[in-house]
Amino acid sequence: MGMILCATRGGEASYPTQDAVIALAKEQGDELVFLYVVDISFLNHTAAPLVVDVESRLEKLGQFQLVMAQERAAAQDIIAQTIVRKGHLRDELVSVAKEIGATLIVMGHSLGPDAAFEDLALQVFAADLKTKTGVEVRILEKSD
Amino acid sequence: MKRYVLFGLAIVGIVSLVGGIWWLLAHPAEGGYGPSFFISTSIFLLVFAAISLRWMHETAAALLGAAAVWLVHYIGGTFFPALHIIDFEESMTFVDWNVIWLIMGMMIFMAMFSETGAINWVAFRTFRMAKGNAWLLMMSLVILTAVLSAFLNDVTAILLLVPLSIEIAQTVGIHPFAFVIPEVLASNIGGAATIIGDPPSTIVGSHLGLSFVEYLVNMAPIAILCMVPFLVIIGFLYRRELAGAKEQFSPALIARLEADALITDVPLLRKAGLVGLLMMILFFTGDYFGGIPPSVVALSGAAILVAWVRPDMHRMLREVDWTTLIFFISIFVVVGGLQATGVIYWIAGKIGDLAGEMLKTATVLMVWIPGVASAIVANIPFTVASLPIADFLTSTIPGAENMVLYWALILGADLGGNATILGSAPNIVAVGLLGQAGYRLGFGRFMRDGVPVTIATLLLATVWLLVRY
Repeated sequence: MGMILCATRGGEASYPTQDAVIALAKEQGDELVFLYVVDISFLNHTAAPLVVDVESRLEKLGQFQLVMAQERAAAQDIIAQTIVRKGHLRDELVSVAKEIGATLIVMGHSLGPDAAFEDLALQVFAADLKTKTGVEVRILEKSD
Repeated sequence: MKRYVLFGLAIVGIVSLVGGIWWLLAHPAEGGYGPSFFISTSIFLLVFAAISLRWMHETAAALLGAAAVWLVHYIGGTFFPALHIIDFEESMTFVDWNVIWLIMGMMIFMAMFSETGAINWVAFRTFRMAKGNAWLLMMSLVILTAVLSAFLNDVTAILLLVPLSIEIAQTVGIHPFAFVIPEVLASNIGGAATIIGDPPSTIVGSHLGLSFVEYLVNMAPIAILCMVPFLVIIGFLYRRELAGAKEQFSPALIARLEADALITDVPLLRKAGLVGLLMMILFFTGDYFGGIPPSVVALSGAAILVAWVRPDMHRMLREVDWTTLIFFISIFVVVGGLQATGVIYWIAGKIGDLAGEMLKTATVLMVWIPGVASAIVANIPFTVASLPIADFLTSTIPGAENMVLYWALILGADLGGNATILGSAPNIVAVGLLGQAGYRLGFGRFMRDGVPVTIATLLLATVWLLVRY
């Protein structure tokens, strides 16, 4: 039995990827882990008084997004595990893939204005991941 | 060959430029605007551009600007007296320490208060009380944001409320933009209501030496009034989204939502609540106690809470956002350079020429110039730079002693920040928070809501100022 790792942020743009990876896990009989990475680097440009513990608050937001992903999986009779990490997506994906012994990392194709990556950037990112983890990285096509 | 020619031309160009600047510095024009006038302007514009275009962190840009002002003054001024901008001691007189202490005091209080989880608890209760009525839910969250922005500060309100609002929106099946964008717009309007709500309010209010109540009685009525067209506009813009809300919610999501909205530290909440109440009483009765400045109230509240709660002081001091304080001090220094070299008075003179002695024209200009500028560039340096202009116009235009031009500046800078993503810090922070939930809020999408709200509220503010003052 393999272990599929899928990083997700939540939001409508991620639903097709979530659905596709859930279907893949069901078809292959693999375990499925959704990963959410809290990254507060967007606050690096503002001098507004940031006295709230933003990372902890976003950790909760991440857990909420993963509950939604778990619900989508449960609707397809798949029990998905979830992990929330703080840091940069690339580093955390590599680290979690090694920790859980992932056999496949699945990434969604760019979809709509909310997509995280442009097509070319996604290909480069996937190749880099494969090099660093030694795990197969699959980019789901739009039709998947 | 071509490469060598180009290289040679570049060398000749650089040598000519340096030589030209050297000659100009050695022969300053008598009676005109000297090199320090243009250099201080260049430094300010570069800082302004770096902040507005997000080339680097706002604090890094402002600090670099302050350092440039001093380096040019001391090193350049040693060789060419025409490069004297402002020395260190004089530049410190341009720093409004009341603003710095007020922000620091409020940050210490907010850092401890935010750990109680009280705001999320209130937001979740709001969700419960709305009983699935999406309209009521949106209006309640928006009003809650405006009130919190007025009494905590706008960025804190957004950081506390937006993540939970995204979760609530997803639970009820509405696009999060329908809650988050109105909350951001409400934070900028609500922030104008009090002297502690929004940086331009704090900067102008402190400059005038206003008490909390003096500021409140002048600005709260128009901030509340502005909420009316704002609520009408967002109600219209989101009518379809809100009509499509779910009626049945996922029990797993509700459970998660509830878990995210628990009060995490009841003893701290009791203490922070009591100290917060004491601060509010002192803010409101400050005039009775010899006009106690808001900064003293904020610092006293923070000091009492720290002494009572006894947090780990190293951790506590880490939570104070020093970058904000350094940013403000540096901006005051850079603008001080503009004042010392006469740039601000030159600009004030030009605006004075435009307005003549007509107070109404000057009022309209003081609302709309900061209003439009705040939509495009960072409103904090703009407000700091505009203050001496308001001083100049108030002293030269008959009838302006009622401070109408300062109120106009506050309203322009605060409300204008709603037009674009770049307009104010809450907008930028909310965009980042939405991105963390997978929703990319673009420039155009924000403007669809921000521009009509900005125009409507600025128009209302203009009419109100012209009628009341």
